[in-house]
Amino acid sequence: MKDVLVRSHIKHRISGSFFWFTMLFFYAPLLVLIVFSFNEGRSMNFTGFSFKWYKVLFFDSAKLWGSFYNTLLIAVTSALVSTVIGTLGAIGIYWYNFKMKRYLEVVSYLPIILPEIIIGVSMLMFFAGMNMPLGLSTIIIAHITFNIPYVLLIVIARLSEFDYSIIEAAHDLGATEMDTLLKVIIPMCIPGILSGFLMAITLSVDDFVITFFVTGPGASTLPLHIYSMLRFGLSPAINALSVILIVGSLAMAFMSKKLFKHMFN
Amino acid sequence: MIKNYGQRYTFPIMVWLTVFFVIPFSIILVGSFLEKGLYGGFEPAFSIEAYKALMSDTMRKVTLNTIFISVATTVLTVLLALPTAYHIARSPYKEKLLFLVIIPFWTNFLIRIFAWIAVLGNNGLVNNFFVNIGIFNSPVQLLYNKWAIILIMIYTSLPFAILPLYAVIEKFDFSLLEAARDLGATKSQSMFKILIPLILPGISTAVLFTFIPAFGNFAIPDIVGGTDVRMLGNIINERLKTARNWPSAAAISMILTTISVVMVLLFNRIISSKERKIGGNI
Amino acid sequence: MIGGTVKVHNVSKNFGTTQVLKDIKLEINAGEFFSLLGPSGCGKTTLLRIIAGFEIPTSGDILLDNESVINKAPNERHVNTIFQNYALFPHLTVFENVAFSLRLKKIDKNIIKSRVAEYVNLVRLQEHINKYPAQLSGGQRQRVSIARALINEPRVLLLDEPLSALDAKLRQDLLMELDRIHDIIGITFIYVTHDQEEAMSVSDRIAVMQEGNLLQVGTPFEIYESPADMFVADFIGASNNIEGKVIEVTENRAYIETPDIGRITVDLDKKLKASDHIKVTLRPEKIHISKKAPSLDSPKWNCISGKVDQMVYTGSHTRFIIKTEHGRVFKTFKQHAQYFTDEEPIQWEDNVYMWWHADDSFIVEVNGNR
Repeated sequence: MKDVLVRSHIKHRISGSFFWFTMLFFYAPLLVLIVFSFNEGRSMNFTGFSFKWYKVLFFDSAKLWGSFYNTLLIAVTSALVSTVIGTLGAIGIYWYNFKMKRYLEVVSYLPIILPEIIIGVSMLMFFAGMNMPLGLSTIIIAHITFNIPYVLLIVIARLSEFDYSIIEAAHDLGATEMDTLLKVIIPMCIPGILSGFLMAITLSVDDFVITFFVTGPGASTLPLHIYSMLRFGLSPAINALSVILIVGSLAMAFMSKKLFKHMFN
Repeated sequence: MIKNYGQRYTFPIMVWLTVFFVIPFSIILVGSFLEKGLYGGFEPAFSIEAYKALMSDTMRKVTLNTIFISVATTVLTVLLALPTAYHIARSPYKEKLLFLVIIPFWTNFLIRIFAWIAVLGNNGLVNNFFVNIGIFNSPVQLLYNKWAIILIMIYTSLPFAILPLYAVIEKFDFSLLEAARDLGATKSQSMFKILIPLILPGISTAVLFTFIPAFGNFAIPDIVGGTDVRMLGNIINERLKTARNWPSAAAISMILTTISVVMVLLFNRIISSKERKIGGNI
Repeated sequence: MIGGTVKVHNVSKNFGTTQVLKDIKLEINAGEFFSLLGPSGCGKTTLLRIIAGFEIPTSGDILLDNESVINKAPNERHVNTIFQNYALFPHLTVFENVAFSLRLKKIDKNIIKSRVAEYVNLVRLQEHINKYPAQLSGGQRQRVSIARALINEPRVLLLDEPLSALDAKLRQDLLMELDRIHDIIGITFIYVTHDQEEAMSVSDRIAVMQEGNLLQVGTPFEIYESPADMFVADFIGASNNIEGKVIEVTENRAYIETPDIGRITVDLDKKLKASDHIKVTLRPEKIHISKKAPSLDSPKWNCISGKVDQMVYTGSHTRFIIKTEHGRVFKTFKQHAQYFTDEEPIQWEDNVYMWWHADDSFIVEVNGNR
């Protein structure tokens, strides 16, 4: 018995050291960013503590704030539209049989498994063929398209927790199809719909590759802006921006965790 | 009797994905067999020129690079993700530890790349440190090579590998390992003959989630690959925007698509045959 | 409230090429507690769903209070269903679940409040009225679904294996609860179950189904004591089946030659003539068992001997499996009515005598006919 305990202890120590190595790997670079965002100088030598780069970021980066605003606009619009389309699609796919269901299943699975660049390239060629001017609208269309499958999957996962007899019970108790949708199905799926929405926001805010292909003159987003900073001249303000984004995403992560804890209980 | 509302519920998604996914995708498929237009675009004439051009020396080198980088990334990522996921799944604090894995996933993708530039760049933390203490005379180029790409790809894909592995290990019945030990297996035998086969579906998912984004990657080699190391994704971008050879971009896209779909079908087979034999979701 | 009558008029149902209901004819009386009993896959749930309106029959008609409802949607029929897995709305409290259908009808809030309270009291869940389904036990959830259905004042309540997700003890309690509610409300209950004990203990009448056929409709007593065929005999309770050929028919009984236990005598439950081939059921509790040979005063007694092959002590009684010398096994049991008995207890491998009265067996089939 003692032997087993010692062995299992060792086993956990091995996997534990891998775990902490992974954590170090994850967080060390982010920590470097945080520390150097408070650096007085430009270089990666720490010369003194300062809020200088935060000041630059907040008061001297009009372009960045413009792209930040675009990012929010794109994220919220595309997440809203894809959540509505994806949720209705999930209800249809999960509970009903209809013509072309198989086609729809394949078509909504493919965008997730294909490399992002394929979506980007195909949409660029499509918009060019349609003579659609590239810009915010094409970005929003592209984001809706890649968000729909994720919302669909998440809402289907939520629906699979319920039996179809719930729908039959609603009909049995006198509900019309509209009543059932609005008073039973959607409220029941709210946790799934919300997490689909949050997922869509996250993917949209984070997306670089697809946006890169379908963007047009003047339509910069935060990732595109960061990319151009990375390619064409770094300013330590990017450190400060990174910290704000890290803190922001941490807050998002905590909020959604709290939210879901509350909702699932 | 309940009417069938499936068609109504799925009407918007059907239309949207057909117009904005299936049609654009068909453009790549058809376009890869057309002639190139003078200023980009396609000429409506059949040609397999775009596919023939894939046989050139440059393309062969890029393809080999792409395969090497994505395979190395996948192997290393899964090897690192396995013990990490195992530790989380067996920890009494699994929810908290899992959260630590998810946070980087929430952090902007380009910021995560930038963090590594700050560490490994020519003016980065490591170079500054070694130059300052006098070990290096001048900064050593740590980025702009294959291994830098692999390192950063591992960094970005690790959460995607850990999560599916965690999901299967968490559901795994660990008394099976004790049963195996009880029946005379050594510790490593019980791991390789019981644990690994039973979590194979999770490993397959982790491999897919790592390999496909790596294989079709564009951003990471674009930013930290320099001029020497290019992957298929970079060539697509180049053909599309600089060379204005759309059929070629389309043909390379078709290659990426085919390989991704084949991989998924292959691994799905592993997953579903495993689940069929073992029964249900494991 | 008065219950409705249900007439099932030559109902058949096909799923693809398989026929799950074969020309079912059934009349259910107002206020009855009626059970549809059968093994899984016998079509009982499909029949219930056809009455509820969730399925349409391939042919035939359903009459509710002598009015065809076949073209009406579930929400237009004055019937409500209790689902196997409760089908409670997870995002609504007990109150909101029960109030669901009244709110759809846009009834005055105060009326809803008092009506809900009335029905929540009926199922004794007053204390839990503000809880969510996830916070309730299985039995409590099922009671919510009962209140939720009854508040519509349906003419008929359909119950689809409502107790199958609960454990044995709770099942008993809830069954009694259902019986109590049925007595108070007085509407017709149609209860689907595969558990014969459940059906026997609460039903006014039972319909036994198998493979889409209706085998027998009758009171629990009729179904148990005079089963329509061997399937019913085997399905309801335990049965010792005896087959044989009629040798002689007298005024009030017949002598049967059997291949494995010799000559026995039976009461004339059905018309017999010599050389008829018959099947007889003999319930275990009708068999007496002892180590001592009995002294039997009438030729109406049958007596055979055998060896104890298995015995299971269950507290209230002991179950025996007795093997006769021709290898035929009989199920029987002995009640432990007295703590001390003069008789030496029966042990494993003892030789024992079994005897029963000709009146206590029942002729189920004659020449393969019911």
